[in-house]
Amino acid sequence: MLRYAGKRAILAVLVALTVSFAAFLLLSVATDPAAAIAGEGAEPEVIEQIREQLGLNQPLLAQYGHWLSAISHGDLGTSYYWRQPVSTLILDHLPVTLTLALAATFVALIVAIPLGTIAALYPNSTIDRFALTLAVSAQATPTFWLALMLIILLGVIVPIFPISGDATGWNYVLPAIVLGAHSVPAIMRLTRVGVLDVMGSDYIRTARAKGLYGYRLLSRQVMRNALLPVVSVLAVQLGHKLGGSVITESVFAMNGLGRFALQSIVGGDIPTVQMLVVLFALTFIGLTLLADLLNAWLDPRLRLT
Amino acid sequence: MAMQDTDLTVKAAAAEASADTPLDAPVRRLDSWREMLRHPGIVIGLAILLTLFALAIFAPLIAPYDPFDQQLSRRLLPPFWVEGGNPAYLFGTDHLGRDYLSRLLYGARISLLIGFGAAGIGCLLGVTLGVCAGYFGGVVDRVVSFLLTCQLALPGLLLAMALVFLIGPSVTVVICVIGLLHWSYYLVVTRAATQKIRDLEYVAAARAIGSNERQIMISEILPNLLSEIIVIFSLEVGVAVLAEAALSFLGVGIQPPTPSWGLMIAEGKTSVFLRPWLIILPGIFIFLLVLAANLVGDGLRDMMSKKSGR
Amino acid sequence: MRGGTAHNRVLMALAAVGFAMCGWLPVNAGPANDTMVVAIEGEIPTLDHLYTTARDTITLAELTDDGLFYVDPETLAYVPAAAESYVQVDDTTIDVTIRTGVRFHDGSPLTADDVVYTFSWVLDPDTKTNRGRVIGAWLDRVERTGPMQVRFHLKHPYPLAIRDMAFSVQLRKKGAYHPHGKADPNAQAQMLNGIGPYKVVDFQPGKRVTLERFDGYYADSPKGRPAIRHIVFRTIPDLSTQQAELISGNVDWMYNVPADIASNLGATGYATHLTGPTLRVNFIPLDAAGYTGADNPLTKLDVRRAMIHAINRRDIVKYLIQGDAEVIDSACHPLQFGCEQNVRKYPYDPAEARRLLVGAGYPNGFEVELWAYRERQAAEAVAADLAKVGIRVRLRFVTLTTLNQARKNHRVPAFFASWESGSTADTATIAEVHWSLKSDRNLSKDAVVARQMEAAARTIDAEERKRLYSAALKRIADQAYWIPLYTYSQNYLVSNTLAFPVTKDGLPRLFRAHWRANAVKASN
Repeated sequence: MLRYAGKRAILAVLVALTVSFAAFLLLSVATDPAAAIAGEGAEPEVIEQIREQLGLNQPLLAQYGHWLSAISHGDLGTSYYWRQPVSTLILDHLPVTLTLALAATFVALIVAIPLGTIAALYPNSTIDRFALTLAVSAQATPTFWLALMLIILLGVIVPIFPISGDATGWNYVLPAIVLGAHSVPAIMRLTRVGVLDVMGSDYIRTARAKGLYGYRLLSRQVMRNALLPVVSVLAVQLGHKLGGSVITESVFAMNGLGRFALQSIVGGDIPTVQMLVVLFALTFIGLTLLADLLNAWLDPRLRLT
Repeated sequence: MAMQDTDLTVKAAAAEASADTPLDAPVRRLDSWREMLRHPGIVIGLAILLTLFALAIFAPLIAPYDPFDQQLSRRLLPPFWVEGGNPAYLFGTDHLGRDYLSRLLYGARISLLIGFGAAGIGCLLGVTLGVCAGYFGGVVDRVVSFLLTCQLALPGLLLAMALVFLIGPSVTVVICVIGLLHWSYYLVVTRAATQKIRDLEYVAAARAIGSNERQIMISEILPNLLSEIIVIFSLEVGVAVLAEAALSFLGVGIQPPTPSWGLMIAEGKTSVFLRPWLIILPGIFIFLLVLAANLVGDGLRDMMSKKSGR
Repeated sequence: MRGGTAHNRVLMALAAVGFAMCGWLPVNAGPANDTMVVAIEGEIPTLDHLYTTARDTITLAELTDDGLFYVDPETLAYVPAAAESYVQVDDTTIDVTIRTGVRFHDGSPLTADDVVYTFSWVLDPDTKTNRGRVIGAWLDRVERTGPMQVRFHLKHPYPLAIRDMAFSVQLRKKGAYHPHGKADPNAQAQMLNGIGPYKVVDFQPGKRVTLERFDGYYADSPKGRPAIRHIVFRTIPDLSTQQAELISGNVDWMYNVPADIASNLGATGYATHLTGPTLRVNFIPLDAAGYTGADNPLTKLDVRRAMIHAINRRDIVKYLIQGDAEVIDSACHPLQFGCEQNVRKYPYDPAEARRLLVGAGYPNGFEVELWAYRERQAAEAVAADLAKVGIRVRLRFVTLTTLNQARKNHRVPAFFASWESGSTADTATIAEVHWSLKSDRNLSKDAVVARQMEAAARTIDAEERKRLYSAALKRIADQAYWIPLYTYSQNYLVSNTLAFPVTKDGLPRLFRAHWRANAVKASN
């Protein structure tokens, strides 16, 4: 297990390095931060001076080196658009997005797993069909459209929930539904297939032969095995939610990382955007690493390389 | 070895794209049109898709007005079923007095172009990488798998937004950026399938009669992957259409005056309480298109898994 | 559409039922909490008005800051604020006496040292304040002549010195930008120590600013004592969400509302629609100097003239902008001093536009980028009109910051500009920044216009100024350096419990808002 974990960790570090380089490269080539920092109406000499200060005339690889070493020392730079250290900004915006992502994942789970399980227990029944229709519809509905519809229905016509902001727990209800709806189809399908698979397997037949039935069978044998793959998908989904909450946060005026990223993009604050891309990627890598290890721990077969 | 290192992430990705794609099932071809036409999902999906295609292609003939023709004196007319509607403008007019129906019809062109264009670019990339990785194995496989892991780690929507914004938004840029960020599922599926095919007899036979690697990949392996590719392709069309709509909605995608459904929702949302149809109508069109693509993809996958005995 | 369609009425009736059912909703706006919630579309990245020209921050700075002077929104006259009085010693010397009893939010009194410190900071080119260049153009230095006396030494006679002191320089405590002895331009960005009627109690960048009435505010201020205790600025990027919050009672005040939405929503009775004049004008500078390409189409006079002829400005004003808006022909607001109206005019005439384009060698038109950061609908309407004569416009809708950056790099051939002249009825406040050869907003590179505009801003003789402006504005119209569009009408939506006096110059002064008498009673 230790060797396996070590290998995974090394791979994760390699991926992190590559991804950070890609983010650096993709977004550095297209912009001139010096001009932006210099401010409106700055003379060309001033811009050139700032460029030198920032080391922007060095070769790209050297710049990347500096950038990386600054990050590894915890210096994420100062945003010239927000006029604050990027690390402070990220910490300020993180709680909202984290809460939202967790809430959305929770919503997705409590809808998807029961539906998927029931659909699998009664294949081709009305419930199965309903679940599939729901999945297909959820997949085809644009997030922002769903958000606007929910605002009209549950925010204004029947004002049950607050419409915008992130002041109270109630504020998270509608956004969590919107963001969660997006991952219902994948988790539901996976649960359904997992349960179907396990139900047809030998050891379930054995268990049945031993006299295990109904709820006990379901909870003891089926769910534990059927949900294994859901764990890794969950990590992926959570990772995607952190980076994918832009639309939800914008429509509901929540002050999370997603909207912060959008504001930074349209504000032309590319160094901040780079940091955010790297941050999301690192979170994703960490989450999948965790899921991999968890899976290996739950299912020793995977450890045997 | 390389497979093991990334397989969980990859499986998770594959599961996300297509929860029950028979990754480990024997490869089958979709060979019967008649069978396809008995599947209700596929029939409905194809019908919607063909209708939208027809609307897009014949938009200049069907559309009652030029979608760019601005008549400020007739702006924001309601559709015919709302009080004050004008039958000459069935779906009313937008904030610049342009006929909404005509813009929705021309919008089909943009969405279909971007959906199929981006899915096509992703397909080209993903399939090439997947077939190479699956066929050659070894170092190639390891490098491709590594690339895949990296790609999955990047926040796609965010990167797309930043890139489109930096390069300058246009239809071509949007197609390319979305395409470049959506190739992973093709890769996962074609790679697995290729690994299974490459050792089969007829491939060995082709090798024996002196076909080179490229010929084998193109004429022996690729045709056998067609069904898998079509399934992923149709699902990716839906993903691309939604991605474009999201980018345009956020203002970093298609720019006015081009009629894009996502953009139309963004333009209409300021008066959502007074004129809800301005966002409901394009929303329905996006929904229908993505739904159709998914129904076709799901249906085909369904048939394949049935044939392979699952 | 007045009164709304049947559909709207159903929607609103349902909403009313909903509100009645759900009285338990947490409402943080309104008279009950003595808190006015202001919705803004953009984010506030910094509290320090010396470092931004964003509209929302000006509105905010009116609350948190005072300058030496203040413009009375009723008479538009300049009156002393933090200053007690001033004496114009000669053409280039002004003596100012500081008012006693003015306190910073931290409790310390305002003295001559603070005033000298503030102006020295602004004048120092290294500090990169937004106003530094404008102030530095006329102000040489500020000298302390007593504990409460300062003397301004001007570089040359300048008619708007008092005005600039009123609008552009918010007073800072001595040492405000040297928190640890080291100069730090960001020092006031997060926590501001001003002297205005409200102090900042909480600031979450990009999200909200919470203000509380400052109890130590000097009683004899021309701004008077505010009626409302708390003001919260909330960034709600989506205009539809803003409306929803206003309808639900969580927002009290919003502005920059498109005319039709404001009037339609006002007609439903769920909010009050207010409209007022502003000194804002909209226009499109064209790259006549060839920054984006030595012989781009815009360098040709006939092309520029064709573009003005091609745009149906009358219809845009009538149907899109509505209210008190009017088409303009000159490069300034008609109410501004020196704004010559007798200039060359370009009536809507697409046929003439096409003829001019053919003559200029563009029978098939051409493609051009138009950058914009606000007024999206109007920019689109302009683009559509230009398309009708064959000029294919690529609209680049970006934030102000991005536009500024692109313009500095000379990548902008035409931009949809909107200028409010710092709410000042004098052509100088729109001319200087747009026609100086140093300004990247000036896409004409016209030395004659630049010289005339500069001369007009450096003399106090009114007749001479008028003559200079007239000559320059005539030349601008003749050369079609700008597409002059229209004056602007400001639309506000406010909650029915709020009374908000609309100002003549269009700059919202939120400290003058108060709850309506019946609203307070109802809430008690």
